[in-house]
Amino acid sequence: MQIVVLIKQVLDPEVPARAFRVNRELRVPDVPRAAQVMSIFDGNALETALKLREAVGSGVKITALSMGEKSAENVLRKALAVTADDAVLLADPAFAPLHSVQKARVLAAGIRKLGSVDLVLAGRQAADWEAGQVGPMVAEELGWPCVSFVSRIDRSGDSLHLRRELDNGYQIVRLSGPAIVTVTNADVNVLRFAKVRDVMMSARKPIITWNASALGLDPTDLGEPSVDLLDLFVPERPRHAEMIEGETARDRALGLARRLRELNAI
Amino acid sequence: MSDLLLAAPVRDGEVSRGSLDLLGGARALADQTGGKVTVAALGTAANQAATTLIAYGADTVLTCAEPALETAPGEAGVIALEAACRASEPGVVLLVADSYGRDWAPRLAWRIDAGLVTEVTGWSLASGRLTFSRQVFGGKAQAVLASRRPVAIATVKPGAAVACQPDPSRRGLVQELGVTIPLDPSWPQVIETASEAPTGPRLEDAKIIVSGGRGLGGPENFSYARDLAEVLGAAVGASRAAVDAGWVPATWQIGQTGKSVAPNLYVAVGISGASQHMVGCSRSKLIVAINTDQDAPIFEQARLGVVGDYREVLPRLTAALKELLQ
Repeated sequence: MQIVVLIKQVLDPEVPARAFRVNRELRVPDVPRAAQVMSIFDGNALETALKLREAVGSGVKITALSMGEKSAENVLRKALAVTADDAVLLADPAFAPLHSVQKARVLAAGIRKLGSVDLVLAGRQAADWEAGQVGPMVAEELGWPCVSFVSRIDRSGDSLHLRRELDNGYQIVRLSGPAIVTVTNADVNVLRFAKVRDVMMSARKPIITWNASALGLDPTDLGEPSVDLLDLFVPERPRHAEMIEGETARDRALGLARRLRELNAI
Repeated sequence: MSDLLLAAPVRDGEVSRGSLDLLGGARALADQTGGKVTVAALGTAANQAATTLIAYGADTVLTCAEPALETAPGEAGVIALEAACRASEPGVVLLVADSYGRDWAPRLAWRIDAGLVTEVTGWSLASGRLTFSRQVFGGKAQAVLASRRPVAIATVKPGAAVACQPDPSRRGLVQELGVTIPLDPSWPQVIETASEAPTGPRLEDAKIIVSGGRGLGGPENFSYARDLAEVLGAAVGASRAAVDAGWVPATWQIGQTGKSVAPNLYVAVGISGASQHMVGCSRSKLIVAINTDQDAPIFEQARLGVVGDYREVLPRLTAALKELLQ
């Protein structure tokens, strides 16, 4: 069985609000000291793939696939370090300005080039722009079904059983053929820590890089964006909370209770 | 560009509150554009929802109760919506940003080559251009976007629109969508559905919420939050950290990818205030934070703050409120 996990490198979502800046003219974030990390739901997707491989036992190959600049090799290294088998980077200057639909085309081309793929896992949305579009659009590009908000995958005979998280409950979905599955967070799919031994073993593994022409794509004909970003800004920060003072926790608790009463909040 | 189509999932003849709220928004936008509002009611006993939808502002209701919508809601829903688009030729398609809308919208956008904006918190029509607002970067920035295609699709978050006052005398057209959706054996199929209805008030409707985060340290410590919630008649929620730690069910998660709530009072206990969490509770009228870390970001978002250990603060707060409320 071949599983592909789509991984995006993003600006660290843990950057606190007070440190976050934006270049409004260029409509991009401006946090030069921030780390670039694996998008968190992609980590959940990777863990889901790793657990499925463990459950199946043998014959499962996991390929981490990323689209980005050369620096995205960092997150692919992280995937290899937690024992993904292969890592592929889709990189081309023509890919930089692309929007969701176009990105989906490129990723789909990468998946087709890998060949014999049985399952593609992706985070439900990227931890930066949070559009949640690319996964389902890759499904459309490939002509495959898509199951979203899955938190775990179990093997059941020749099928897979996917637990799909709903707003107030869950569904179990049976999957018998290739599909795109978008993954949401749960206690069972928090990405594991890499073992030192695996980090060392994977460090030498080559990361395969494909550009537009390797993918059979014309870099000048990747399509037009379907959406315009007209403005990007940081809203005005609210004021600091009114802190309830008091010598002891009891004093502060009483003070809070009184203040809530005063404000008619209770 | 002036006509609108709203996707409304139906279960046993009922549409969600979220759909009715969004219908209110669609109605307001249609009144501005001079267009009409069509609702695609998709699911079991869809025609039973038609009268309600018209009372709440729909001009036309297209119903589809194909069984495939239950067994393969993703695949069948997109097919039905594409048919509804052909039938009603909207300039704007609106969906609630829930597990249906988020699933359907990108695929529909791809199929009809529309410009899609997701997780929308508001929109504006100015000089004939429709622009959408949404939060990005974990709620730390605001983006404004517009479609470059003739059709715009938007998934809309709770709180962006409010239902109209229902008018049972409103007239509208009810038609069957007229599309047959045979169940393709290669489609993923739902084999089990489990509802996890809360025993107390639903988080989305609760007037008061007590929410616990990583600072509680373990599942058993949610009892402190529950005791306070009981005195206040509140619902209990949690941050993503508590869910990922396995302390509470996923349905308790409040935040960007969890529930979006708008209570009168939100008490955040042991929650640091990461922007992704605050996205879910920022519509609260009053946020109170209790945290041992005086530099926790939540103190820049809350209205009232107490620095302290919840194990000492909560029981005394619970007792004090119990007295005050008697």
